[in-house]
Amino acid sequence: MFRWKKLGKVFDPKDLTESSWMHEFAQSPSVLLVDGAAVRVYFCSRPKPDTNGQYLSYISFVDLDRNNLRNILRVCERPVLELGTYGTFDEFGTYPVSVIRAGDEVRAYYAGWTRCESVPFNAAIGLAISRDGGNTFERLGDGPVLSYTPDEPFLLGSPRVRRFGCGWQLWYVAGKEWRMTDGKPEPVYKIRMAISDDGINWVKQGRDLIADKLGEHECQACPDVSYRNGRYHMFFSYRDIRNYKGREGGYRIGYASSLDMLNWQRNDDRVGISLSETGWDSEMVNYPHLFELAGATYMLYQGNGMGRAGFGLAVLESESAWERT
Amino acid sequence: MKWKKLGKIFDPTEHALPNRCMEFAQSPQALVLADRVRVYFSTRERDSVGKYLSHVAYADFSRDMGQLLGVSQHTVLPLGGLGCFDEHGIFPINVLRDGDRVLAYTTGWNRKVSVSVDAAIGLAISYDDGITFQKLGTGPILAASLNEPFLVGDAFVLRYGETYHMWYIYGTKWKRFSETEPPDRVYKIGHATSSDAVNWRRNGRQIIDDRLNADECQALPSVICLDGVYHMYFCYRQADGFRTDSNRGYRIGYAHSTDLENWVRDDSVAGIDVSAEGWDAQMQCYPHVFQCEGKVYLLYNGNEFGRHGFGLAVLMDQKSDVKE
Repeated sequence: MFRWKKLGKVFDPKDLTESSWMHEFAQSPSVLLVDGAAVRVYFCSRPKPDTNGQYLSYISFVDLDRNNLRNILRVCERPVLELGTYGTFDEFGTYPVSVIRAGDEVRAYYAGWTRCESVPFNAAIGLAISRDGGNTFERLGDGPVLSYTPDEPFLLGSPRVRRFGCGWQLWYVAGKEWRMTDGKPEPVYKIRMAISDDGINWVKQGRDLIADKLGEHECQACPDVSYRNGRYHMFFSYRDIRNYKGREGGYRIGYASSLDMLNWQRNDDRVGISLSETGWDSEMVNYPHLFELAGATYMLYQGNGMGRAGFGLAVLESESAWERT
Repeated sequence: MKWKKLGKIFDPTEHALPNRCMEFAQSPQALVLADRVRVYFSTRERDSVGKYLSHVAYADFSRDMGQLLGVSQHTVLPLGGLGCFDEHGIFPINVLRDGDRVLAYTTGWNRKVSVSVDAAIGLAISYDDGITFQKLGTGPILAASLNEPFLVGDAFVLRYGETYHMWYIYGTKWKRFSETEPPDRVYKIGHATSSDAVNWRRNGRQIIDDRLNADECQALPSVICLDGVYHMYFCYRQADGFRTDSNRGYRIGYAHSTDLENWVRDDSVAGIDVSAEGWDAQMQCYPHVFQCEGKVYLLYNGNEFGRHGFGLAVLMDQKSDVKE
């Protein structure tokens, strides 16, 4: 079993004392280890909503002191990627984001959001590239890099990109159904996978990877995969279709392992992190992201309100947790 | 090419239509059967908020196209479910005989908030000569991609040997032409190939040159092979003002190719233009070429994008030269 020691909240834009474009939310943390003193954490944040209460979501970052990860060295002065132009898939938001280094480039895979009439929104996965070390990004094209197909009709999101071996892997979420729930359309989405030789042209693997725990209406998100001790380990999020904005049905962190990246054994009992009694992560723990630094394994995750309360950090108490046969 | 106009052959207001549809018979496309020619089209109902929903229907004609045999009264292909790409309309539908099945390439429409709509191409299959179709999944087979960011539609598919060829259109931009009007869309004709009719490889470029300007909108490609030359009919228009100014509205364009890769556009060879007056005097759009009993026909829509039905022309001299 994994045991995570919580180190507390790391960043919430509401805590900033200086003025910022970020009004609230720090969602889907994703680490880029930067040379030198800093660990850069990308995440998604939002300016004040419009007069209708609708938000736009942008990609942001903070640089953390690698010797003290709760010490913030720099806060992103402006979004690193503009939103898409009129009519494009990412006109109304870029969230979540997964960042990876590729040679001289840094690539950001993100879900782009558009607004619809019958259902509130749709999403597809885009790719933006930085050639200045991750300070600014430009999209590779105006359209998505992963789009809709016969068995993935809408809501492609939650990308987590990895490079295990010589190829590229993308774990993501695909919508299955919009289900009328308590008078409103609510989506059901599941974790899937695509592979690629170049990170641009993807081959979908065409199946749901993670068995449901809550039932077929379970929503799964943020499949964050690590390779340790001969095995692939996925920490992800899942929630109910109802009452998910609070503690009752809100996101929790699940766990699954695999030998081949495609066939997964779910075992949430091993996850070793759960809600706090009080405070910023007392209603939700979700969108986990693991990284290694100086021999230790850390988990960044977002808290209450799907990251409205910011993101925090935990550290794996014992590396022997990976050694399960 | 020289076409003899046979006039409007179907007026949707003269027939009972399924799915509470009232007007419009858009983008007529033919499936030639042993005893009839089945002409699919998209017609419209108004939904509970007063907006249009496009539904597929068909009219059966005798094989000499001289007699209307009947109009479908059932749901040929249902619209998509909540949140699906084809929730708010299927228009157009392209049908292709493929062994014992009939493939239907649909353009599905869904309504959005900033721009009015988006579209993608779906596939449905019939095993009863096109009376009913079952969709392949709930999503599209060809949707927005990196360099074709929205409005993917108007598929027209043919099979040559082991390769399926699709001509289709993709949006390139939404552009604002005036302070008072919302932005208008621009779209171009592209080409993709497939070995299984399901998974497509796009060749990733505009294949038909612009004639009007860079914002020219090109739609509904239709291809036929005659005497070893591939002929493409399509329609094109100005990007703005096209609904009200007939000089900016749809006209029929033409291009030819000998290799299915390189197309030479020459609208002067099209051999058909708007009439001086009548149902196709302001606009000609959504051309569809097909062969039956040794004749080559052109189905098309006229004024108001086909609100009042579709017409037919027949090719006069099939040996007419293609100008080089």
